Amino acid sequence: MKKKFLLLLLAASAFSYASKAQDTVKTTADAPLVLYGSVDTYYKDDLSGHANIPTSFASDNNSISIGMIDLGLKKTVGNASFVGELSFGPRNDQSVPTSGYHIQNLYVSYNLTSKLSATAGYMSTFIGYEVISPTGNFNYSTSYLFTNGPFQNAGFKLTYAFSDKVSLMAGIFNDEWNAYTSVHDVSTFGAQLTITPVKNWTAYLNVATGPTSGTEFDLTTAYQITTAFKLGLNAATFSPSHYGGGFSGVALYPQLAVSKVVTLGLREEYFKAKTVDAGSNYVLAGPLPGGSVLGSTLTANIKTGPLTFIPEVRLDKVNKQEYSEFTNSSLAPTTSASQFVLAAVYAF
Amino acid sequence: MLAVKSAVAQKDLLSIDEHNKYIYYQVVQQPGLTADTFQNRTAYFLKINYPKNKVNKSEIPESITGTGKLLMLTGISAAKHIDGEVTYTFNIEYKDQKYRYWLTDFVFTPYYVDRYGNSVPQPGIDVTLENGAAKLEKGQLNNYSIQISNYSKQFGDRLKQYMLMVSSAPIKNDKKKVITTKDW
Repeated sequence: MKKKFLLLLLAASAFSYASKAQDTVKTTADAPLVLYGSVDTYYKDDLSGHANIPTSFASDNNSISIGMIDLGLKKTVGNASFVGELSFGPRNDQSVPTSGYHIQNLYVSYNLTSKLSATAGYMSTFIGYEVISPTGNFNYSTSYLFTNGPFQNAGFKLTYAFSDKVSLMAGIFNDEWNAYTSVHDVSTFGAQLTITPVKNWTAYLNVATGPTSGTEFDLTTAYQITTAFKLGLNAATFSPSHYGGGFSGVALYPQLAVSKVVTLGLREEYFKAKTVDAGSNYVLAGPLPGGSVLGSTLTANIKTGPLTFIPEVRLDKVNKQEYSEFTNSSLAPTTSASQFVLAAVYAF
Repeated sequence: MLAVKSAVAQKDLLSIDEHNKYIYYQVVQQPGLTADTFQNRTAYFLKINYPKNKVNKSEIPESITGTGKLLMLTGISAAKHIDGEVTYTFNIEYKDQKYRYWLTDFVFTPYYVDRYGNSVPQPGIDVTLENGAAKLEKGQLNNYSIQISNYSKQFGDRLKQYMLMVSSAPIKNDKKKVITTKDW
Protein backbone atom coordinates (compact mmCIF):
# COMPACT_ATOMS: atom_id res chain seq x y z
CA MET A 1 0.00 0.00 0.00
CA LYS A 2 2.81 2.37 0.98
CA LYS A 3 4.68 1.45 -2.18
CA LYS A 4 1.63 2.26 -4.29
CA PHE A 5 1.23 5.55 -2.47
CA LEU A 6 4.88 6.46 -3.11
CA LEU A 7 4.58 5.57 -6.79
CA LEU A 8 1.42 7.64 -7.07
CA LEU A 9 3.06 10.58 -5.32
CA LEU A 10 6.08 10.36 -7.59
CA ALA A 11 3.99 10.16 -10.73
CA ALA A 12 1.87 13.11 -9.62
CA SER A 13 4.91 15.25 -8.85
CA ALA A 14 6.46 14.42 -12.20
CA PHE A 15 3.45 15.01 -14.40
CA SER A 16 2.37 18.19 -12.66
CA TYR A 17 5.66 19.77 -13.73
CA ALA A 18 5.87 18.28 -17.18
CA SER A 19 4.80 21.42 -19.02
CA LYS A 20 8.16 23.17 -18.62
CA ALA A 21 11.43 21.43 -18.76
CA GLN A 22 15.18 21.72 -19.04
CA ASP A 23 18.05 19.33 -18.98
CA THR A 24 19.85 19.30 -15.67
CA VAL A 25 22.00 16.31 -16.42
CA LYS A 26 25.17 17.93 -17.69
CA THR A 27 26.27 15.04 -19.77
CA THR A 28 27.76 15.71 -23.13
CA ALA A 29 25.38 15.24 -26.00
CA ASP A 30 28.09 14.77 -28.58
CA ALA A 31 30.66 13.11 -26.37
CA PRO A 32 32.36 9.87 -27.34
CA LEU A 33 32.66 6.94 -24.97
CA VAL A 34 34.23 8.60 -21.94
CA LEU A 35 36.61 6.88 -19.55
CA TYR A 36 37.21 8.34 -16.11
CA GLY A 37 38.49 7.26 -12.76
CA SER A 38 41.18 7.51 -10.13
CA VAL A 39 43.81 5.72 -8.11
CA ASP A 40 44.73 6.69 -4.54
CA THR A 41 47.25 5.71 -1.90
CA TYR A 42 48.07 7.13 1.54
CA TYR A 43 50.13 7.07 4.70
CA LYS A 44 48.51 7.82 8.04
CA ASP A 45 50.05 8.41 11.45
CA ASP A 46 47.77 8.76 14.45
CA LEU A 47 49.78 10.52 17.15
CA SER A 48 48.63 7.95 19.73
CA GLY A 49 50.36 5.21 17.78
CA HIS A 50 47.14 3.44 16.90
CA ALA A 51 44.07 4.28 14.81
CA ASN A 52 41.56 6.38 16.74
CA ILE A 53 39.36 8.53 14.55
CA PRO A 54 36.57 6.29 13.26
CA THR A 55 35.61 7.97 9.97
CA SER A 56 35.63 6.30 6.57
CA PHE A 57 38.70 5.15 4.62
CA ALA A 58 42.34 6.01 5.49
CA SER A 59 41.89 3.50 8.29
CA ASP A 60 45.37 1.93 8.44
CA ASN A 61 47.78 3.46 10.93
CA ASN A 62 51.55 3.76 10.35
CA SER A 63 51.22 2.02 7.01
CA ILE A 64 51.58 2.95 3.39
CA SER A 65 48.19 1.73 2.23
CA ILE A 66 46.06 1.80 -0.84
CA GLY A 67 42.64 3.32 -1.40
CA MET A 68 41.10 1.98 -4.57
CA ILE A 69 41.22 1.95 -8.31
CA ASP A 70 38.07 3.47 -9.70
CA LEU A 71 37.12 2.89 -13.36
CA GLY A 72 34.12 4.52 -14.96
CA LEU A 73 32.67 4.44 -18.46
CA LYS A 74 29.87 6.64 -19.74
CA LYS A 75 28.20 7.36 -23.02
CA THR A 76 25.37 9.49 -24.29
CA VAL A 77 23.56 8.90 -27.55
CA GLY A 78 20.69 11.24 -28.23
CA ASN A 79 18.58 11.36 -25.09
CA ALA A 80 19.85 8.11 -23.61
CA SER A 81 22.93 7.70 -21.48
CA PHE A 82 24.56 5.24 -19.13
CA VAL A 83 27.22 5.32 -16.43
CA GLY A 84 29.06 2.27 -15.15
CA GLU A 85 31.71 2.71 -12.45
CA LEU A 86 33.67 -0.13 -10.88
CA SER A 87 36.11 0.05 -8.00
CA PHE A 88 38.55 -2.32 -6.33
CA GLY A 89 40.56 -1.94 -3.13
CA PRO A 90 40.07 -1.27 0.58
CA ARG A 91 38.29 2.02 -0.09
CA ASN A 92 35.76 0.15 -2.24
CA ASP A 93 35.31 -2.54 0.40
CA GLN A 94 34.61 0.06 3.08
CA SER A 95 32.26 2.06 0.88
CA VAL A 96 30.25 -0.92 -0.39
CA PRO A 97 30.15 -3.15 2.68
CA THR A 98 28.75 -6.24 1.01
CA SER A 99 31.50 -8.70 0.12
CA GLY A 100 32.19 -8.96 -3.59
CA TYR A 101 30.43 -5.70 -4.48
CA HIS A 102 32.49 -3.46 -6.74
CA ILE A 103 30.02 -1.08 -8.32
CA GLN A 104 29.86 2.58 -7.33
CA ASN A 105 27.48 3.74 -10.05
CA LEU A 106 25.46 1.71 -12.52
CA TYR A 107 22.49 3.44 -14.03
CA VAL A 108 20.73 4.42 -17.21
CA SER A 109 19.19 7.80 -17.84
CA TYR A 110 16.79 9.17 -20.42
CA ASN A 111 15.81 12.76 -21.15
CA LEU A 112 12.03 12.56 -21.50
CA THR A 113 11.92 16.23 -22.51
CA SER A 114 14.56 18.93 -22.62
CA LYS A 115 13.84 19.60 -18.92
CA LEU A 116 12.72 16.28 -17.50
CA SER A 117 15.00 13.27 -17.13
CA ALA A 118 14.43 9.80 -15.69
CA THR A 119 17.21 7.73 -14.10
CA ALA A 120 17.20 4.18 -12.76
CA GLY A 121 19.87 2.00 -11.20
CA TYR A 122 22.42 2.12 -8.41
CA MET A 123 23.77 5.61 -7.82
CA SER A 124 25.90 7.61 -5.44
CA THR A 125 23.62 9.14 -2.87
CA PHE A 126 22.21 12.59 -3.37
CA ILE A 127 22.69 13.26 0.36
CA GLY A 128 25.70 15.08 1.78
CA TYR A 129 28.74 17.14 0.84
CA GLU A 130 31.43 14.47 0.62
CA VAL A 131 31.63 11.49 -1.71
CA ILE A 132 33.35 8.11 -1.93
CA SER A 133 35.67 8.95 -4.81
CA PRO A 134 38.86 10.62 -3.51
CA THR A 135 38.76 13.00 -6.48
CA GLY A 136 35.42 14.39 -5.33
CA ASN A 137 36.61 15.48 -1.88
CA PHE A 138 39.03 18.20 -0.88
CA ASN A 139 39.96 16.52 2.42
CA TYR A 140 41.27 12.96 2.32
CA SER A 141 39.81 11.85 5.63
CA THR A 142 36.04 12.07 5.74
CA SER A 143 33.54 13.82 7.97
CA TYR A 144 31.34 12.11 10.56
CA LEU A 145 28.31 13.35 8.62
CA PHE A 146 29.53 11.49 5.52
CA THR A 147 30.54 8.31 7.33
CA ASN A 148 27.21 7.94 9.11
CA GLY A 149 25.01 8.89 6.17
CA PRO A 150 24.15 6.91 3.03
CA PHE A 151 26.80 6.22 0.37
CA GLN A 152 24.62 4.88 -2.43
CA ASN A 153 20.94 4.51 -3.17
CA ALA A 154 19.40 2.11 -5.66
CA GLY A 155 16.19 3.40 -7.16
CA PHE A 156 14.32 5.37 -9.77
CA LYS A 157 14.25 9.15 -9.89
CA LEU A 158 12.87 11.94 -12.01
CA THR A 159 14.64 15.28 -12.27
CA TYR A 160 12.86 18.35 -13.53
CA ALA A 161 14.39 21.78 -14.06
CA PHE A 162 12.07 24.73 -13.67
CA SER A 163 14.84 27.05 -14.85
CA ASP A 164 18.62 27.12 -14.80
CA LYS A 165 18.32 28.22 -11.15
CA VAL A 166 15.80 25.76 -9.71
CA SER A 167 15.34 22.03 -10.18
CA LEU A 168 13.66 19.22 -8.31
CA MET A 169 14.50 15.54 -8.06
CA ALA A 170 12.05 13.05 -6.61
CA GLY A 171 12.46 9.31 -6.49
CA ILE A 172 11.75 6.00 -4.87
CA PHE A 173 14.66 3.97 -3.58
CA ASN A 174 15.32 0.60 -1.98
CA ASP A 175 14.59 0.30 1.72
CA GLU A 176 18.27 0.09 2.75
CA TRP A 177 21.30 2.15 1.72
CA ASN A 178 24.48 0.82 0.13
CA ALA A 179 22.97 -2.39 -1.26
CA TYR A 180 22.15 -3.45 -4.80
CA THR A 181 18.87 -5.07 -3.82
CA SER A 182 16.16 -4.21 -1.33
CA VAL A 183 15.77 -6.22 1.85
CA HIS A 184 11.97 -6.06 1.77
CA ASP A 185 10.70 -3.39 -0.61
CA VAL A 186 11.24 -0.12 -2.42
CA SER A 187 10.06 2.15 0.36
CA THR A 188 12.50 5.03 0.74
CA PHE A 189 11.32 8.32 -0.69
CA GLY A 190 14.02 10.77 -1.69
CA ALA A 191 13.90 14.32 -2.96
CA GLN A 192 16.38 17.05 -3.74
CA LEU A 193 15.57 20.69 -4.37
CA THR A 194 18.47 22.44 -6.11
CA ILE A 195 18.66 26.22 -5.98
CA THR A 196 21.25 28.52 -7.54
CA PRO A 197 20.58 31.89 -5.88
CA VAL A 198 23.48 33.64 -7.60
CA LYS A 199 26.10 32.59 -10.11
CA ASN A 200 28.59 30.08 -8.65
CA TRP A 201 26.45 29.40 -5.55
CA THR A 202 24.37 26.23 -5.43
CA ALA A 203 22.35 24.83 -2.54
CA TYR A 204 20.79 21.36 -2.29
CA LEU A 205 17.95 20.65 0.15
CA ASN A 206 17.70 16.88 0.52
CA VAL A 207 15.44 14.43 2.25
CA ALA A 208 15.45 10.63 2.36
CA THR A 209 12.80 8.91 4.42
CA GLY A 210 11.43 5.40 4.75
CA PRO A 211 10.14 2.94 7.36
CA THR A 212 13.34 0.90 7.18
CA SER A 213 15.99 3.46 6.28
CA GLY A 214 14.89 6.17 8.72
CA THR A 215 14.78 9.86 7.89
CA GLU A 216 17.60 12.23 7.00
CA PHE A 217 17.27 15.92 6.21
CA ASP A 218 20.35 17.46 4.66
CA LEU A 219 21.53 20.84 3.40
CA THR A 220 24.58 20.88 1.15
CA THR A 221 25.80 24.10 -0.37
CA ALA A 222 28.95 25.54 -1.95
CA TYR A 223 29.75 29.05 -3.10
CA GLN A 224 32.79 29.88 -5.24
CA ILE A 225 32.93 33.46 -4.00
CA THR A 226 36.04 34.42 -5.97
CA THR A 227 38.26 32.40 -8.29
CA ALA A 228 40.48 31.77 -5.25
CA PHE A 229 38.00 31.38 -2.40
CA LYS A 230 35.25 28.79 -1.98
CA LEU A 231 32.97 28.21 0.99
CA GLY A 232 31.02 25.00 1.51
CA LEU A 233 28.53 23.96 4.17
CA ASN A 234 26.86 20.70 5.11
CA ALA A 235 24.21 20.36 7.81
CA ALA A 236 22.18 17.22 8.45
CA THR A 237 20.05 15.41 10.96
CA PHE A 238 19.20 11.71 10.90
CA SER A 239 16.72 9.65 12.92
CA PRO A 240 16.36 5.90 12.58
CA SER A 241 12.83 4.54 12.41
CA HIS A 242 12.84 2.92 15.84
CA TYR A 243 14.43 3.17 19.31
CA GLY A 244 15.95 6.63 18.98
CA GLY A 245 19.57 7.24 18.06
CA GLY A 246 20.82 8.97 14.95
CA PHE A 247 22.87 12.12 14.66
CA SER A 248 22.91 15.76 13.75
CA GLY A 249 25.78 17.99 12.75
CA VAL A 250 27.20 20.77 10.68
CA ALA A 251 30.47 21.13 8.77
CA LEU A 252 32.02 24.22 7.22
CA TYR A 253 34.50 23.99 4.33
CA PRO A 254 36.45 27.20 3.54
CA GLN A 255 39.09 26.74 0.80
CA LEU A 256 41.63 29.21 -0.52
CA ALA A 257 43.82 28.80 -3.62
CA VAL A 258 47.14 30.37 -2.67
CA SER A 259 48.86 29.64 -5.98
CA LYS A 260 48.32 27.93 -9.32
CA VAL A 261 49.07 24.54 -7.74
CA VAL A 262 48.35 24.87 -4.02
CA THR A 263 44.96 25.23 -2.33
CA LEU A 264 44.49 25.23 1.43
CA GLY A 265 41.27 24.13 3.07
CA LEU A 266 39.77 23.70 6.50
CA ARG A 267 36.94 21.45 7.54
CA GLU A 268 35.38 22.40 10.86
CA GLU A 269 32.74 19.91 11.91
CA TYR A 270 30.42 19.65 14.90
CA PHE A 271 28.75 16.25 15.19
CA LYS A 272 26.33 15.09 17.87
CA ALA A 273 25.18 11.53 18.51
CA LYS A 274 21.55 11.41 19.58
CA THR A 275 20.55 9.37 22.62
CA VAL A 276 19.11 5.89 22.08
CA ASP A 277 16.18 4.12 23.68
CA ALA A 278 16.50 0.84 25.54
CA GLY A 279 16.70 -2.07 23.14
CA SER A 280 18.29 -0.05 20.36
CA ASN A 281 21.03 -1.69 18.35
CA TYR A 282 21.87 1.51 16.47
CA VAL A 283 25.62 2.09 16.18
CA LEU A 284 27.36 5.04 14.62
CA ALA A 285 30.96 6.02 13.97
CA GLY A 286 31.75 8.79 16.41
CA PRO A 287 31.04 9.68 20.03
CA LEU A 288 28.84 7.48 22.19
CA PRO A 289 25.10 8.31 22.27
CA GLY A 290 24.47 11.71 23.86
CA GLY A 291 28.00 12.97 23.16
CA SER A 292 29.40 15.30 20.57
CA VAL A 293 32.70 15.78 18.78
CA LEU A 294 34.40 18.77 17.19
CA GLY A 295 36.60 17.78 14.26
CA SER A 296 39.13 20.22 12.80
CA THR A 297 40.93 19.20 9.62
CA LEU A 298 43.50 21.33 7.81
CA THR A 299 44.29 20.07 4.31
CA ALA A 300 46.39 21.16 1.36
CA ASN A 301 45.83 20.08 -2.24
CA ILE A 302 49.03 20.28 -4.26
CA LYS A 303 48.35 19.63 -7.94
CA THR A 304 50.79 18.55 -10.57
CA GLY A 305 48.87 17.62 -13.69
CA PRO A 306 46.43 14.83 -12.91
CA LEU A 307 48.21 13.98 -9.64
CA THR A 308 47.22 15.64 -6.37
CA PHE A 309 49.22 15.36 -3.15
CA ILE A 310 47.11 15.80 -0.04
CA PRO A 311 48.91 16.46 3.26
CA GLU A 312 46.44 16.77 6.11
CA VAL A 313 46.38 17.21 9.88
CA ARG A 314 43.29 16.51 11.94
CA LEU A 315 42.32 17.04 15.57
CA ASP A 316 39.07 15.65 16.98
CA LYS A 317 37.81 16.40 20.48
CA VAL A 318 34.84 14.76 22.20
CA ASN A 319 32.92 16.97 24.67
CA LYS A 320 33.12 14.61 27.68
CA GLN A 321 35.19 11.59 28.59
CA GLU A 322 32.10 9.45 29.15
CA TYR A 323 31.21 9.77 25.44
CA SER A 324 34.69 9.19 24.07
CA GLU A 325 36.25 6.01 22.77
CA PHE A 326 39.60 7.66 22.00
CA THR A 327 42.67 6.31 23.75
CA ASN A 328 46.12 7.85 24.11
CA SER A 329 49.50 6.23 23.45
CA SER A 330 49.22 4.34 26.77
CA LEU A 331 45.77 3.12 25.74
CA ALA A 332 44.24 5.24 28.53
CA PRO A 333 40.89 6.91 27.75
CA THR A 334 41.13 10.45 26.46
CA THR A 335 38.83 12.98 24.85
CA SER A 336 40.98 13.94 21.86
CA ALA A 337 42.73 12.30 18.95
CA SER A 338 44.95 13.66 16.23
CA GLN A 339 46.36 12.28 13.02
CA PHE A 340 48.51 13.16 10.04
CA VAL A 341 47.77 11.86 6.54
CA LEU A 342 49.71 12.19 3.31
CA ALA A 343 47.76 10.94 0.32
CA ALA A 344 48.33 10.90 -3.42
CA VAL A 345 45.37 10.80 -5.81
CA TYR A 346 45.70 10.38 -9.56
CA ALA A 347 42.63 11.30 -11.59
CA PHE A 348 41.99 10.47 -15.22
CA MET B 1 57.59 14.69 -37.41
CA LEU B 2 54.76 15.31 -39.83
CA ALA B 3 52.24 15.09 -37.02
CA VAL B 4 54.15 17.67 -34.99
CA LYS B 5 54.35 20.05 -37.96
CA SER B 6 50.64 19.59 -38.58
CA ALA B 7 49.83 20.33 -34.95
CA VAL B 8 51.93 23.52 -35.01
CA ALA B 9 50.26 24.62 -38.23
CA GLN B 10 46.80 24.03 -36.82
CA LYS B 11 47.62 25.99 -33.67
CA ASP B 12 48.88 28.86 -35.83
CA LEU B 13 45.43 29.27 -37.36
CA LEU B 14 44.63 31.49 -34.38
CA SER B 15 45.87 35.08 -34.60
CA ILE B 16 45.95 38.00 -32.16
CA ASP B 17 43.54 40.89 -32.81
CA GLU B 18 43.82 44.59 -31.93
CA HIS B 19 42.42 43.86 -28.44
CA ASN B 20 45.16 41.29 -27.80
CA LYS B 21 42.67 38.47 -28.02
CA TYR B 22 43.01 35.21 -29.88
CA ILE B 23 40.89 35.22 -33.01
CA TYR B 24 40.13 32.96 -35.98
CA TYR B 25 39.41 35.45 -38.77
CA GLN B 26 38.58 34.90 -42.45
CA VAL B 27 37.33 37.04 -45.32
CA VAL B 28 35.71 35.11 -48.17
CA GLN B 29 35.04 36.52 -51.64
CA GLN B 30 31.91 35.05 -53.22
CA PRO B 31 31.06 36.82 -56.47
CA GLY B 32 27.43 36.78 -57.55
CA LEU B 33 25.84 36.60 -54.12
CA THR B 34 24.14 39.44 -52.27
CA ALA B 35 24.29 40.29 -48.58
CA ASP B 36 20.67 39.13 -48.14
CA THR B 37 21.52 35.72 -49.56
CA PHE B 38 24.50 35.40 -47.24
CA GLN B 39 22.35 36.29 -44.27
CA ASN B 40 19.64 33.72 -45.08
CA ARG B 41 22.18 31.00 -45.67
CA THR B 42 24.04 31.81 -42.44
CA ALA B 43 20.85 31.57 -40.41
CA TYR B 44 20.14 28.18 -41.94
CA PHE B 45 23.75 27.06 -41.45
CA LEU B 46 23.57 27.85 -37.72
CA LYS B 47 20.18 26.21 -37.29
CA ILE B 48 21.31 22.96 -38.85
CA ASN B 49 24.91 22.71 -37.67
CA TYR B 50 25.00 24.53 -34.35
CA PRO B 51 21.46 24.30 -32.92
CA LYS B 52 22.70 24.82 -29.36
CA ASN B 53 24.50 28.06 -30.17
CA LYS B 54 22.83 31.23 -28.93
CA VAL B 55 22.26 33.90 -31.57
CA ASN B 56 22.23 37.46 -30.25
CA LYS B 57 20.58 40.51 -31.74
CA SER B 58 23.34 42.23 -33.65
CA GLU B 59 23.78 46.00 -33.62
CA ILE B 60 25.06 45.91 -37.18
CA PRO B 61 22.18 45.09 -39.59
CA GLU B 62 24.07 42.89 -42.01
CA SER B 63 25.59 40.54 -39.47
CA ILE B 64 24.86 37.68 -37.11
CA THR B 65 26.58 37.26 -33.75
CA GLY B 66 26.25 34.73 -30.97
CA THR B 67 27.93 32.36 -28.58
CA GLY B 68 28.72 28.66 -28.55
CA LYS B 69 30.88 26.12 -26.80
CA LEU B 70 32.99 23.07 -27.53
CA LEU B 71 34.34 20.30 -25.34
CA MET B 72 38.05 19.87 -24.65
CA LEU B 73 38.90 16.19 -24.87
CA THR B 74 42.06 14.25 -24.09
CA GLY B 75 43.04 10.61 -24.28
CA ILE B 76 43.02 7.76 -26.74
CA SER B 77 40.53 7.69 -29.58
CA ALA B 78 38.44 4.79 -28.27
CA ALA B 79 37.72 6.38 -24.92
CA LYS B 80 38.12 10.07 -24.22
CA HIS B 81 38.39 12.13 -21.07
CA ILE B 82 36.55 15.45 -20.90
CA ASP B 83 38.85 18.14 -19.50
CA GLY B 84 36.38 20.99 -19.82
CA GLU B 85 34.61 23.29 -22.22
CA VAL B 86 35.57 26.38 -24.17
CA THR B 87 32.98 29.05 -24.81
CA TYR B 88 33.39 31.48 -27.72
CA THR B 89 31.63 34.25 -29.55
CA PHE B 90 31.14 34.22 -33.31
CA ASN B 91 30.52 37.11 -35.67
CA ILE B 92 29.50 36.80 -39.30
CA GLU B 93 29.16 39.96 -41.46
CA TYR B 94 28.10 40.38 -45.11
CA LYS B 95 28.40 42.70 -48.01
CA ASP B 96 27.47 42.03 -51.60
CA GLN B 97 30.01 39.64 -53.15
CA LYS B 98 31.79 38.83 -49.86
CA TYR B 99 31.42 37.92 -46.23
CA ARG B 100 33.73 37.67 -43.24
CA TYR B 101 33.54 35.81 -39.97
CA TRP B 102 35.55 35.44 -36.81
CA LEU B 103 35.54 33.37 -33.62
CA THR B 104 37.01 34.93 -30.48
CA ASP B 105 36.58 35.35 -26.68
CA PHE B 106 37.72 31.79 -26.01
CA VAL B 107 37.22 30.96 -22.32
CA PHE B 108 38.09 27.58 -20.80
CA THR B 109 36.08 26.17 -17.87
CA PRO B 110 37.43 22.96 -16.36
CA TYR B 111 35.07 20.05 -15.75
CA TYR B 112 35.05 17.72 -12.78
CA VAL B 113 33.41 14.34 -12.42
CA ASP B 114 30.51 14.62 -10.00
CA ARG B 115 29.24 11.88 -7.68
CA TYR B 116 27.12 10.35 -10.43
CA GLY B 117 29.99 10.14 -12.91
CA ASN B 118 28.79 13.14 -14.93
CA SER B 119 31.33 15.63 -16.24
CA VAL B 120 30.13 19.04 -15.11
CA PRO B 121 31.63 22.55 -15.22
CA GLN B 122 33.53 23.74 -12.16
CA PRO B 123 31.64 26.88 -11.13
CA GLY B 124 33.56 30.12 -10.87
CA ILE B 125 36.70 28.91 -12.66
CA ASP B 126 37.05 30.60 -16.06
CA VAL B 127 40.37 30.90 -17.88
CA THR B 128 40.62 33.09 -20.97
CA LEU B 129 42.82 31.63 -23.69
CA GLU B 130 45.04 34.72 -23.46
CA ASN B 131 45.58 33.98 -19.76
CA GLY B 132 46.12 30.28 -20.40
CA ALA B 133 49.89 30.37 -20.00
CA ALA B 134 49.49 31.59 -16.42
CA LYS B 135 46.67 29.27 -15.42
CA LEU B 136 47.16 26.08 -17.46
CA GLU B 137 50.02 23.70 -18.00
CA LYS B 138 51.92 24.08 -21.27
CA GLY B 139 50.77 20.74 -22.69
CA GLN B 140 47.17 21.48 -21.79
CA LEU B 141 47.30 24.90 -23.43
CA ASN B 142 48.83 23.50 -26.63
CA ASN B 143 46.24 20.75 -26.80
CA TYR B 144 43.33 23.13 -26.27
CA SER B 145 44.71 25.64 -28.80
CA ILE B 146 44.88 22.90 -31.43
CA GLN B 147 41.34 21.74 -30.68
CA ILE B 148 40.03 25.33 -30.84
CA SER B 149 41.84 25.90 -34.15
CA ASN B 150 40.45 22.71 -35.67
CA TYR B 151 36.97 23.57 -34.49
CA SER B 152 37.20 27.12 -35.88
CA LYS B 153 38.44 25.87 -39.24
CA GLN B 154 35.63 23.33 -39.38
CA PHE B 155 33.13 26.09 -38.52
CA GLY B 156 34.43 28.15 -41.46
CA ASP B 157 34.53 25.21 -43.88
CA ARG B 158 30.95 24.26 -43.08
CA LEU B 159 29.84 27.88 -43.40
CA LYS B 160 31.44 28.06 -46.83
CA GLN B 161 29.57 24.93 -47.94
CA TYR B 162 26.27 26.47 -46.94
CA MET B 163 27.10 29.79 -48.58
CA LEU B 164 27.72 27.92 -51.84
CA MET B 165 24.47 25.97 -51.70
CA VAL B 166 22.10 26.85 -54.53
CA SER B 167 19.15 26.62 -52.18
CA SER B 168 19.21 26.98 -48.44
CA ALA B 169 16.32 24.54 -48.16
CA PRO B 170 17.22 21.08 -46.87
CA ILE B 171 18.09 18.58 -49.52
CA LYS B 172 15.35 15.98 -49.64
CA ASN B 173 16.35 12.43 -50.14
CA ASP B 174 14.91 11.03 -53.34
CA LYS B 175 12.75 7.99 -53.01
CA LYS B 176 14.60 4.78 -53.68
CA LYS B 177 14.34 3.69 -57.27
CA VAL B 178 11.98 0.76 -57.60
CA ILE B 179 13.22 -2.06 -59.75
CA THR B 180 10.64 -4.06 -61.63
CA THR B 181 11.63 -7.49 -62.80
CA LYS B 182 8.66 -7.89 -65.14
CA ASP B 183 10.12 -5.89 -68.00
CA TRP B 184 13.67 -6.34 -69.13
